[in-house]
Formats: sequence, C-alpha cells, structure tokens
Amino acid sequence: MILVTFVSVNARGQPQRDQRRLTGTSFSVGRGTKANIQLPDGRVRLDHAHLLVSDAGATIVADAGELRVNGRKVQTSRLADGDSVEVGPYLLRVEPPPAGVDLALTVTLAQPRISRLRKALLMVYLSLPRLSKRRLSYVAFVSVIVIFLVLPSLPELEKKADLPMSGGKRAMVKEISTLLGGGFSQTWTPGPLSPSHQIFGESCRTCHQIPFVPVRDAACLDCHKTLKEHVARSMLTGARGLAFLEARCTECHSEHKGLPIAPRAQDRCADCHRDIKTVGVKAQSENVTDFRTGHPQFRLSLLDANHPDVVKRVRQANPPSPDMVEHSNLKFNHALHLNPNGLRDPEGRRDAAGMRDAQGNRTVLTCPSCHKVEQDGQLVAPVSMEKHCRRCHSLAFEPQVTQRQVPHGNEELVATTLREFYARLALGDTPPDIHPPSDMPRMRPGAVLTYEDRQRVLALAQQKADRVLNELYDTRGVCTTCHQVNRSADAAGWRVAPVRIARVWMPHTLFRHADHATQTCTSCHDVRDSKRAEDIAMPDIAQCRQCHVGAQPVLGQVTSDCARCHNFHSGHEIWHGAPKLPAHADRSK
Amino acid sequence: MRWHESILEFKSGRYMKLALVLSLAAIAAYVWHEPPGHLKPSGGTWLGYTLGTVGAVLILWLMLLGVRKRRYRSSAGAVQGWTSAHIYIGTSLLVIASLHCGFEFGWNVHTLAYMLMLLVIVSGFFGVYAYLRYPELMTDNMGAESLDTVLPKIADLDRKCLQLALDLPDEVNAIVAKSTRSGPRENTKPGRPRWNLPGGARRLTARDAVKALRRVGSKFKGEQAVLNGKLLAEMTRKSVMVDQVRRDMRLRAKLKGWLYVHVPLSFALLAALIAHIVSEFFFW
Repeated sequence: MILVTFVSVNARGQPQRDQRRLTGTSFSVGRGTKANIQLPDGRVRLDHAHLLVSDAGATIVADAGELRVNGRKVQTSRLADGDSVEVGPYLLRVEPPPAGVDLALTVTLAQPRISRLRKALLMVYLSLPRLSKRRLSYVAFVSVIVIFLVLPSLPELEKKADLPMSGGKRAMVKEISTLLGGGFSQTWTPGPLSPSHQIFGESCRTCHQIPFVPVRDAACLDCHKTLKEHVARSMLTGARGLAFLEARCTECHSEHKGLPIAPRAQDRCADCHRDIKTVGVKAQSENVTDFRTGHPQFRLSLLDANHPDVVKRVRQANPPSPDMVEHSNLKFNHALHLNPNGLRDPEGRRDAAGMRDAQGNRTVLTCPSCHKVEQDGQLVAPVSMEKHCRRCHSLAFEPQVTQRQVPHGNEELVATTLREFYARLALGDTPPDIHPPSDMPRMRPGAVLTYEDRQRVLALAQQKADRVLNELYDTRGVCTTCHQVNRSADAAGWRVAPVRIARVWMPHTLFRHADHATQTCTSCHDVRDSKRAEDIAMPDIAQCRQCHVGAQPVLGQVTSDCARCHNFHSGHEIWHGAPKLPAHADRSK
Repeated sequence: MRWHESILEFKSGRYMKLALVLSLAAIAAYVWHEPPGHLKPSGGTWLGYTLGTVGAVLILWLMLLGVRKRRYRSSAGAVQGWTSAHIYIGTSLLVIASLHCGFEFGWNVHTLAYMLMLLVIVSGFFGVYAYLRYPELMTDNMGAESLDTVLPKIADLDRKCLQLALDLPDEVNAIVAKSTRSGPRENTKPGRPRWNLPGGARRLTARDAVKALRRVGSKFKGEQAVLNGKLLAEMTRKSVMVDQVRRDMRLRAKLKGWLYVHVPLSFALLAALIAHIVSEFFFW
C-alpha cells in the first residue's frame, strides 16, 4: 500500500492537501483519468511512468515520458526517503512512510501554467512592444532640432563673444564646428548662389552680416564700391521718388536662386519709367514701357565745337529736327571719299595690301579704311590725321620740296618750322636732299657773312616763311581743305578753328559694335551720299527695331528688355552733369 | 434624424468649404501676385511671407488636435468637428505650403520641412481611410462580441481541449498543446526554454490543429473516437474564434498603426519648421 498526498493551492492561495491510499504493487503514472496516480497536465504523458513496490523497496520506471530523480535524468531508479522525482511539471517527493505504508509520496505542481490571456490582450492593443508614440515623437523632434538647428548654428555660437561660455566650452564648440566643416550649415542655404557670388562659398556672413537683420546695402557696397547712382538725388520728387531713394539692393537683386544676380526686370524699370514725371518732375526723358511697344525716339548727345561746355541732347525725329547737325568745324565729304572708282593715291605704286585697284595708282576707300572698332569691341576709334588722312593730304609747303611737311595740330610749330627751314636755306646750309627754291637768296660758297649780311638774309627768309604760311592757310588752301581758319595777331599768324567730333552719341546704351559684326557698316550708318561734315548718320529706333523687339519674344527677332541696352548703375552724369566726356574731341591728331 | 455622421460630412462639410475657400484664395493670390522682376515666386516676397505665416499657424493648430482630444472637459468645440477640420485644413496645407515655397526645392532644411509635411499629410490620408473603413469591418467581423469577451472564451476552449486531450494519445495531446497558447507547448523556466513534447515547439494554428485532429482521429475507435469527436468540435469552434480575433487584431493594428507614423513625423515637422524659420531669419 502506498500513500499519495496531492498538495495544491486553493483559490485563496492556501495549501490544500488531498491524501489517497492505493493498494497493489504496480501503479501507473500519467495524465489520464485511468492512471493510478493522475497528474492532470498536458505536459505529462498518457503513460508517463510506473511505480513498482515490493518488500525490497520502491522503484520508478520511465515508460513514454522522461524522469528526473534528484535532478538527473534516469530510465529507472530505486526510491529512497528524501528523493525527489520530476514528472513533467510535477514534483514527487519521497517521504518517510508512516506505519503500514510501503511508500509515501507528496505530489506538487512545481511549474504551473502561465496564463497568457493578459499578454495576448496587451499585444492586441499594441502596448506590448515598447512602441510609444510619445517616445518616438521626442526622438524625432530632438534629432531634427539637433541636426538642422543646433549643429548648423555652432559656428555662429562659437563666434559670439558675449555668450556666457567658458573658454573650454568655446574650444569644444569650435572643435565640433570645424569637425563638421560647415556641412550642416549647408542645410540652411535656400538655393545655389548666383555664379558671381559663388566665390563666397560657405561664408554666409559676407553678406548676412548681422543675424536677424536683412542683408544691408552696406554689405553690397563693401565690394561694389564704384557703383554709380541711377539718377541724381535732386531729380527725385514726390512719394514715389522718395520710395525709390529708399530702395534697398535686395529689392532688385535676389540671391540664392541659382540665377545671375543682375535682374532682367523690365517691369521694375517700367514701374517708374511708365510715368516718369511722378518720380521726378524735372525729368527730361520720355515715358518708356517696352522697346517694341513703348520706347521714344533716341536722343543724341551733340557737341558744338564753338561752345565746348555744351552738350545738346537732340531727339531724333522724322523729319529731323533742325538742331540735328554736328558743328565740328571740320569739312568732310563722305560721298567723295567713298567713290567706288577709287581716289588718286600719291603712293599708288607702293603695294598697300588690299587697297590697290587694277589701275595701280587709285585707291578705293571703304569704311574700315578710316573707322576701326576699338579693342574692347565697343566704340569706333577716332579718325587720326596722321594715320588716315596724311597719306593723301600732304602738308608739304614748298612745291619743289616734297620731303618736308609742316607738323599737324600746332599752329605755333607750323610757323616755327617754316621760319627755321627758310632761315637755314638763306644762311647757305642747304641739306643734301633739298633742292632750294629759286626765289631764295643764294650765298656764295665759302663767303663769310657780316652781321648786317646775316640780318638782311634772315629778314628775306622771314618774308618768305610768312608768304608760305599765308599760302598754306589761305591761298593754296592746304589747311582749309578740312579746317576753318582765322587770322590771329600772335606769332602763329593763323588759328585753326577747334574741332570737336562726337564719339559717344548715345552715352546711355551698352551698344557694342563687336556684337553687331554680322551687319555691314552701311546697314546702320549710310553716308554714301553725305557731302557735308554736318550730316549725322546715326541709326534711329526704326532701324534697331528691324532686328530688336521688346521683352516679349518674337520668332526671328532679338528679344530686348531694358537691360539689353541700358545699364541701371551706369550713372547719370552724362544726362545732367558737366560734359566731361572722354575723348569726345581730340585736337592733337 | 441620422444617427451617424462621418467626420468628412461634419456639419454638411463646413470645414471642407472653409479649406476650399482657403486654398482657392491662396491660388488666386499666387496667380495675381507678380514677384518683382524676373524672379520666380518664393517665400521671400510679401505673399511668400504671408502664406508661410498662415501655413505655420495652421500646422501649430493642427497639432493642437492631440491636446484637444485629451481634454475631455474642454468646451472648445466637439472633437468630431476638430477632427473634420483637422482633415480638411491639413489637406489645404498642401496648397498653401507648395505656393509658399513657389515650387522651389533643394537639399536643405526648408525642403526637409516640406517633405515631412507631405509624409504627415499622406499618412493622415491613410488614417482617414482607416477611420472610415475599418470600424465598419471590425463590427462586421466581431458582431456583438469584443476582444475582451472572445479571448477568455478562447482560453476556456483551450482549457477544455487540453482537458479532453488528457485521455487521448500523446499524438493528440501534442497537437492540442501546440495549438494552444496557454498549453504546455513550452516548459517555461525563465531564460531556458525546455521542450518536453515530441514534435518540438512549432506552433500549430487552430485551423491546422482541426485538420490534424481529423486525420489522427480517423484511426480511433470506441471511446477514444467519441472523445476525439468532442475535441474536434471544440477545436473547430476555437478555430473560428481565432480567425475572428486575428482579423480584428489586423484591423485594429491598421486602425492605430498609422498614428505611429503620423504623430512622430508631425513632431519632426514641428522641429524642422522651427529650424526653417530660425535659419531663414538668422541669415535674413
């Protein structure tokens, strides 16, 4: 007979003992109701083991299940007092048997099942994984702030001297910011810089000088020192004029767009120029909106040779204004010089490349013979007597002496040259290449002149020189071919009227001759029938409009907004100031 | 009277109209506005600043929904109205923010804020779909039941199946154990799982358990066959319930899961917005 005590825990958590006495020698151990010792748990086999009890003692034998006696896995084991046998989750302890009992066992459920119901519910409500929206939100918020706000501003913090930071901390911040190498600051830039400002790279402070203050004009002017005002301050009137005066650079020049910073902003121009008098009542320009649809005729800057301080602005018109003449004090006949049959060339025998015609001594002049575009491609170089005229227009003064000419451009020097030349001949020092004119007094070779002789001869030479001077200026018309001359009471005897030739007719355009190389000269400047120097051959707006349209593109035409021909910052002196014009006139050539 | 009104139709779409007016006004201003010169529109013009301010204020207000819905005693409008407005105003933000930036994008904090906003809005769209669709499907699925009632029932069935399997061969017991969450599938000593059943620890779905029991049970005779029949009946009931629970869990996860994207991203957006505004004005 054996005694089996089942120990369980009741609903109140108190231990409960249930004793059973079993008779026999063999007892089955399993989970089923038919087992002698039932251990009702799925973890126990149906026929887990069996007990054999005899006088000699008790033995436990594993059948289908697994047995552990005192922690060691066994197939069969004799049982002694104090042994513990693990059968699945159950623990069978061998107790000292009371009288009349062969074996006493206490059975306890050592590893109760875990209810997973709670756990399952938690999983369903997404609470089990440590996924918390709040935690995720903190992480997301803080990491964005750190990467995109704190790190990019580190270089700025480090520079700021008035921040309460210890030296060590400042050094650390500096180290971190150098380590980052401005890479994080780049996350702040709203777009690529304009090509001309890319030189500044990551130095935001070049332009953004004061934090939280919009870019100031002073920052621009640090580099752009020579920029000129668009219009004189005194010209601006009224509220709109004042507003224009207050305008900041950044209102027109917008950076970080990846585009050139210079605005092509016809609308901005037209804001004022549509009704220019509302910005400045003194304005002399006419209203402009668009080159094609709203642009007045051009104004030309005209010089007056006899009034050197005057620059007259005359607007082109059809028929032309009577003021549209150039008073240069020159005489010139374009039609004559451009004779398609050529001109007699005194140096015709010499081979001047491209300038000789079939007859060998006639030269056909074309525009570039005298007018050449300057190196910078913008203006045409001034015509020079020495380079362009003198070859044909000799300043020889003595018919028999072609080797000597008077200098050009200095009346005193002309007179002196003549006097010295004839005085030398009169004193008998005839240069070897000169055949002296017949009307000069001749000295006997070897004769020694007295003082009186010398005075008499020199007086004759002086008379001769004065006669030739008058011939040059007057009767032979050497000078007057091109110039107007007047007698003067001084030693020079004569004065050539001052010459002023306009070189910059339209000082406010960005016109470049080099950009118009596809055109011929005469397509804009037709002088083939011009017989007077007073004629002006500047193209008018109709001629420009043959190719150029306004800001609205037209197929086959050149789109031209304001900025194509005008420079906002070119300055206003030419319009309103003193005419200190570069090389408008040059009398020395 | 209608007993249910969707959040999209709240007060016959009052907030939809508001959002439409807002968006159209923004578009009209954008079309009418001529930025100075040759420049494309951007956040730097007066319209850009205006739209940016409106957008930032709207984002802050949209995020306040999270506060409002936790304040049960608040009288600041019904949460249903707030949600309806949240959806429509949030959608109009697409228009406002796109016009604010003038469709200019780059690899910077400014576009980061924009992209985060897009992600938040798109996840919100899924949320709207989920809120409108899944509760209905969940009701269809669960009927009068709920998880809180079905799960204990499944646990009861588990217990009943385990009890029935006690008197059946080990093969059957193993099938039941493997298909039972609370069964003896794993012998849990902390940190040291010990599998003490033949067939290892692979889990068996209730549906597979039904198939397996049917297959194994065909050999049984007499009392065992009757017992197995009972077990099969219980296991089939459980299988139906488990499917129901699985579907409910799936729907529930979809219904709530999108918020795990929507909410953290909206906080990331708030941070990016702060960085955007500070950086924009720091280097004005």
